[in-house]
Amino acid sequence: MSSREKILAAVTANQPAKVPLPTVPFFEGDASVEKFTTLVQAIGGRVVEVAALAHLEEVVRQLFPADYRVASPLLSSANVSVDAQTPLAVLADVELAVLQGEFGVAENGAIWLPEENMLHRALPMITQHLALVLSRQQLVATMHQAYARLATVGGYGTFLAGPSKTADIEQSLVIGAHGARSLTVLLVP
Amino acid sequence: MSHSERSDIFLLDAERTTWHDETLWFVREKRDKAVYATPEFQELRQLASDIKDHTLSRLDFYLQQFEENARRNGVHVHWAVDAAEHNAIVLGLLRQHGATRVVKSKSMLTEECHLNPHLLANGIEVIDTDLGERIIQLREEAPSHVVLPAIHLKKEDVGDTFHKYLGTEKGNNDPQQLTETARQHLREKFLAGQVAISGVNFAVAETGTVVVCTNEGNADLGVNLAQVHIACMGMEKLIPRLSDLSVFTRILTRSATGQPITTYTSHFTRPAEGKELHIVIVDNGRTQQLGRPDFRASLKCIRCGACMNTCPVYRRSGGHSYDFTIPGPIGAILSPNIDMRKHASLPFASTLCGSCTDVCPVKIDIHTQLYKWRQVLGEAGKLPTSKKWSMRLLSRVLAKPGMYSAGGKVARQALRLLPHGLTHGQGYNPWAIARELPAPPQQSFREWYAQQPQNDKA
Repeated sequence: MSSREKILAAVTANQPAKVPLPTVPFFEGDASVEKFTTLVQAIGGRVVEVAALAHLEEVVRQLFPADYRVASPLLSSANVSVDAQTPLAVLADVELAVLQGEFGVAENGAIWLPEENMLHRALPMITQHLALVLSRQQLVATMHQAYARLATVGGYGTFLAGPSKTADIEQSLVIGAHGARSLTVLLVP
Repeated sequence: MSHSERSDIFLLDAERTTWHDETLWFVREKRDKAVYATPEFQELRQLASDIKDHTLSRLDFYLQQFEENARRNGVHVHWAVDAAEHNAIVLGLLRQHGATRVVKSKSMLTEECHLNPHLLANGIEVIDTDLGERIIQLREEAPSHVVLPAIHLKKEDVGDTFHKYLGTEKGNNDPQQLTETARQHLREKFLAGQVAISGVNFAVAETGTVVVCTNEGNADLGVNLAQVHIACMGMEKLIPRLSDLSVFTRILTRSATGQPITTYTSHFTRPAEGKELHIVIVDNGRTQQLGRPDFRASLKCIRCGACMNTCPVYRRSGGHSYDFTIPGPIGAILSPNIDMRKHASLPFASTLCGSCTDVCPVKIDIHTQLYKWRQVLGEAGKLPTSKKWSMRLLSRVLAKPGMYSAGGKVARQALRLLPHGLTHGQGYNPWAIARELPAPPQQSFREWYAQQPQNDKA
């Protein structure tokens, strides 16, 4: 008997009588820009309001040094081209990635980032700084609404909440562990 | 060595014990704040518990559904009955790809299976990439907590470790600078990792997806840069539906560190183009636990660590005193399932105050199970000799009111008349090691009661 069969047989023999699967209520909550902004700041990120999508390049230029190596499908000023085949050495040198976030969750400041928006799966983590563009209209209150919006999670996707952080040394919070050292949310209309 | 004997070693440094206690209580308080700010938290606990109960009751179905969907997604699924088979599968995959180095994100399962020593013995370099895990890996220690693996160390300890292994300046104990050093050191390892191993927080049956939660981003960075991703999961990680993640992602970090969610909650469904994703489903005693009605609820655990942070015994004895992969109250009910003789003292490492049960986000009846394990261990003859005989004697005395009364009389006199060194001797009387015995009363309650004029003489 294979290990698979052995395990499944043991499970079938040992599992208890069937109990029903509960229905999860659709917990509502505050989905306002204010709530979302408060949470993003609380988890170490910053939120910058962009008056119109047309101003995106200009705002990014103001926020980040001009000599940064930038990867982005959204900016004409991006100077590092990245796709799924980009060599690691090139990826490792990216200083800023500006990517499109799908929607934000007000209760925890997380932003859904599917693989399609990443250029390379490792880009959101290997870049030194990350900026996510997010529409003010695309906010939900809780994780229940968030998962309800996802018909599929695709091949890979992440709820990204703030910059990389750690508190493994004496519970001291340090921003910038392995992933991006900062997260900027660019809120567009 | 028993839990209490190992605790004695931890307790030698009283200052550090107090610091450990306060640090974990601080985390527990952060948990409380996050929980009170979530209006439906108690409902979420019940839902999480019910979803897990349901999943365990149909685990055979969900395991197969998960496997089928994962395979359809182009994922390789492996099954391991025990730690040895798990380690052999991982080593086999590494050999198959000619890999000599592997980067690993935090996984209590691979700790449970002792994967690192196995790979090292077979010539594979293993780099733990979670900062806390890397610190203890350099020090050749085991994690002392499921979420905060290096919580027993002070920044001076980490400074010394990094000075020794990573060349930081002696006496540099600044967490910010130490973390930066680790970031640079590990970035090289990430870029050179041929294969990456991750743990699994949740596995979704209906989609065949595994979900990994980290704050540092080390799992994502490791597996997204490597050619091959091996995800190692205990079979109890399954949940039925994608939408169930809404419940679990809301309770996990709030219970663990008081955060609203981890920085990265990542969903791996299909390997990237041209790459490989392997999932190893591990039993290693879990089906046996499933067959123990009194203890199967322990399989609902989502490894948040809340029970440890709140436990008065864990906080004052340290994770290493448990000598088991999962320490604290949950570890004390999981460990006797694995090895009843070795871990016989752990269910006694509790005040049975019930605080662990109160904070458990999936409503495991932890303190009840601790109590039940004590009965099981007593019946199986696994109690320490001193406890066994004193309990036997006590039960005989308590069963005979005359003997109890006479014994009390003798004890009250003896405590007064015998020299202090004899009645309070630490060698004879373990009670007196950390406290003074109370002064014996002049009479027993029964004697006093009988003297009261309104009562008939007994």
